[in-house]
Amino acid sequence: MNYPFWEVPFIGSGWVIGMIAIFHVMISQFAVGGGLWLPIAERKALREGSKDWMDQIKRHSRFFLIVTGVFGTVSGVGIWFAIGLTHPEATSTLIHNFVFGWAIEWVFFLVELTTIAVYYYTWDRIPEKLHLTVGWVYAVSSVCTLVIINGILTFMLTPGNTWLGVAGTGQEASKFWNAFFNPTYWPSLLMRTLVCITLAGVWALITGSLIDNDKQPDFKASYLRWTTRWLVPSFVLMPLGLVWFLHRVPESQRALLSLGMSTIGAGTFSQVTRLVLIMVITSATIVIITYYLAYKNPQDFTLAHATAILMLALMATGTGEMSREMLRKPYVIGRHMYSNGTRVSDVANRNQNGYLQHSLWLNQQVSPHFAQGEAMYRGQCGSCHTLTGYRSLNKLLAGRDRESVGSVLTMLHEYKPDTTYRKFMPPLTGTPEEINALRDYLYAQANPATSHTTAPPTLKSQK
Amino acid sequence: MFDSIYKWLDERLSLGELTAFARKKTIPLHGQSFWYYWGGISLFLFLIQIFTGILLLVYYRPGAEAFESVRQITYVMHFGWLIRSAHSWCANLFIFSILVHMFSVYFMKAYRRPREIGWFTGIALLFLAALFGFSGYLLPMDELSYFATKVGLQIPSMLPFMGHFTTNILRGGPDVSDFTVQRFFALHVVILPLLFLPLLGLHLWLVQKHGNAVPPSEEAKPLAERKTVPFFPNFFQKDLAMWLITLNVLALLASIFPWDLGKQADPLASTPDGIHPEWYFMAPFHMLKVLGNLLPGATGEVAGILLFTIGLALWVVIPLYDGESRTGTRGRNAHYFGLFAVTALIITTALGYWGIR
Repeated sequence: MNYPFWEVPFIGSGWVIGMIAIFHVMISQFAVGGGLWLPIAERKALREGSKDWMDQIKRHSRFFLIVTGVFGTVSGVGIWFAIGLTHPEATSTLIHNFVFGWAIEWVFFLVELTTIAVYYYTWDRIPEKLHLTVGWVYAVSSVCTLVIINGILTFMLTPGNTWLGVAGTGQEASKFWNAFFNPTYWPSLLMRTLVCITLAGVWALITGSLIDNDKQPDFKASYLRWTTRWLVPSFVLMPLGLVWFLHRVPESQRALLSLGMSTIGAGTFSQVTRLVLIMVITSATIVIITYYLAYKNPQDFTLAHATAILMLALMATGTGEMSREMLRKPYVIGRHMYSNGTRVSDVANRNQNGYLQHSLWLNQQVSPHFAQGEAMYRGQCGSCHTLTGYRSLNKLLAGRDRESVGSVLTMLHEYKPDTTYRKFMPPLTGTPEEINALRDYLYAQANPATSHTTAPPTLKSQK
Repeated sequence: MFDSIYKWLDERLSLGELTAFARKKTIPLHGQSFWYYWGGISLFLFLIQIFTGILLLVYYRPGAEAFESVRQITYVMHFGWLIRSAHSWCANLFIFSILVHMFSVYFMKAYRRPREIGWFTGIALLFLAALFGFSGYLLPMDELSYFATKVGLQIPSMLPFMGHFTTNILRGGPDVSDFTVQRFFALHVVILPLLFLPLLGLHLWLVQKHGNAVPPSEEAKPLAERKTVPFFPNFFQKDLAMWLITLNVLALLASIFPWDLGKQADPLASTPDGIHPEWYFMAPFHMLKVLGNLLPGATGEVAGILLFTIGLALWVVIPLYDGESRTGTRGRNAHYFGLFAVTALIITTALGYWGIR
């Protein structure tokens, strides 16, 4: 409530994070997996004394440096901007709890960025063995960044009972390690490591596809076949990781997966099931077509094929990350903070004293009633919904009269245990007056003919 | 065991000849080989349409109950929403991939002798696919499909002399009604497939007969320098891989962006804002609109139809104009005409969407 609202029309602020994050994850996981790929490939080239391999690894390392060092870092900073603006409360909780974790991670970032630059610029300038060691330093430090960020990401889904026991007492940071090694930490680390290894292979197919088949047919085949093998660990272990992960997720979140099996609605929550299925289908497709295109027909493998595989990987990564985010609903930090930034412990207080009690961000240009409704919408609906675009409230509320909009809000406010909405939407908090203001605001938005200046009919108490 | 089954079949069906043919058939390999996949992708999407269409047919009821049956498919039947979404998305992807296929054939000059008939049948298939799309769009009878069909029928009604006659036959009366649904349904599931399948057979047979054309840049090279890969198993595997990718894209679209079902159509209601035909009809629709605004009354309509018909006719008969390879001026003119057509289509479509924004 102490933060201004960031309203992004049409796509919604959540998608701003989503778009940056999916792009970032594709690259940052390449940074980790590719970090292992480089020294392992270099060691192979040194052992075999192959000049072809060495030249190719040099080319690949330049590509790697540009993709990860430029696009990876810039998009990483972009995520910070986006989450800070969209979920200030959640970001604040994370910073208060994990500032030490991030400090460690930034140390590794610095080591990463330094060593990859050294690695690239010292080809043929320092002894081979030393160069390989630089590669290994990069690999270890980039794996460490994954080891750390994984603790923070999984914390948001499953903070664990120990941390939840101290949440809100000011002693949260004392349970840092419990929060860090939370219930989904290890299965998630396994899955992310597998994805990193796969992405190392997938991105290396891009540079591999550019090898001239007329000049180096045998080398192209051996390079592509070796790189294709990087997809095997995922193929074998990923199902195991997924089952382990889902086993560690609380029953209530797992139930969300069965909720969405046979329901329809663009942008509704039932999509999480579909997203998981798409992720599985797409991942299987990647393995199959990589086998046929790159392993069986390496000579005909072109940049278009490699790009197609990369796009499929983007689909798999995107749906995977999106379903992980959605599985967290109705929370942004499991059982601690709802997806609209309301702490579970604050609900009673806000219902008693008002959601807007400390809000500085009321619109002064319109009637106070309208301004209240608008602030309620921005604060409590806006992190997941938009008015006219993604999960459009105008569309979802179309055809309802004022009373009917009010009953939806009452249902969300009362938050009875048997309501389906409870499975994926946070409770609506606030006083009856505030909720009525929200009702009138949403009704006026869905029915533009009704101007906000017209007085609403007699307000029925929502309690 | 498999061996003996194969032998039994081979003796009766000569399977060996088929595989020998597939092995002998080669696909040219060059910088533009990527475009060869699009015919196969179109075929694959058509197969999906048959499959999902048959499933929808199980529950769809044309006529007065059309909307109710689609509502049941979407909200009541298990995975009905998925099949319906897949069918609708696939229809759009199908037309898109045929368009890509057509333009790639055009710019690779694959319509030249002896492939003229392949070009003609291809255009006819595109035309039928558009009719498939148009007739299928009405079937749910929700608000959007009803009014879009009403608007879309303005295009044939502008045809000189026979416009009103044709439109009335299609509509089954002066207005879009349950009769129209019945007629469009018959068109969609009986008449169009009856026309489409034999034409498709001829089209595919011609591709096998003449093989893949190579673009002029490749043709200029001596035979010894041109590269090919065997169709089976090399290109076939890649074709399957592309089909699999296509299937993934379709699965993503159909499941994440399920096709909407609006309110039941109410003929008495006023046309809602922003009603427009599907994207693949946007270009002709917008051209007619612009010309209708420029020229007063019937003159504009006739001029629009005339211009569009001439353009289309020129497009269809291009193999007769640019039929021989290495005829410099004609080849170049055809190329410019192609560029003009693509640009005109993109611009008018964009303007059309801009206008209803």
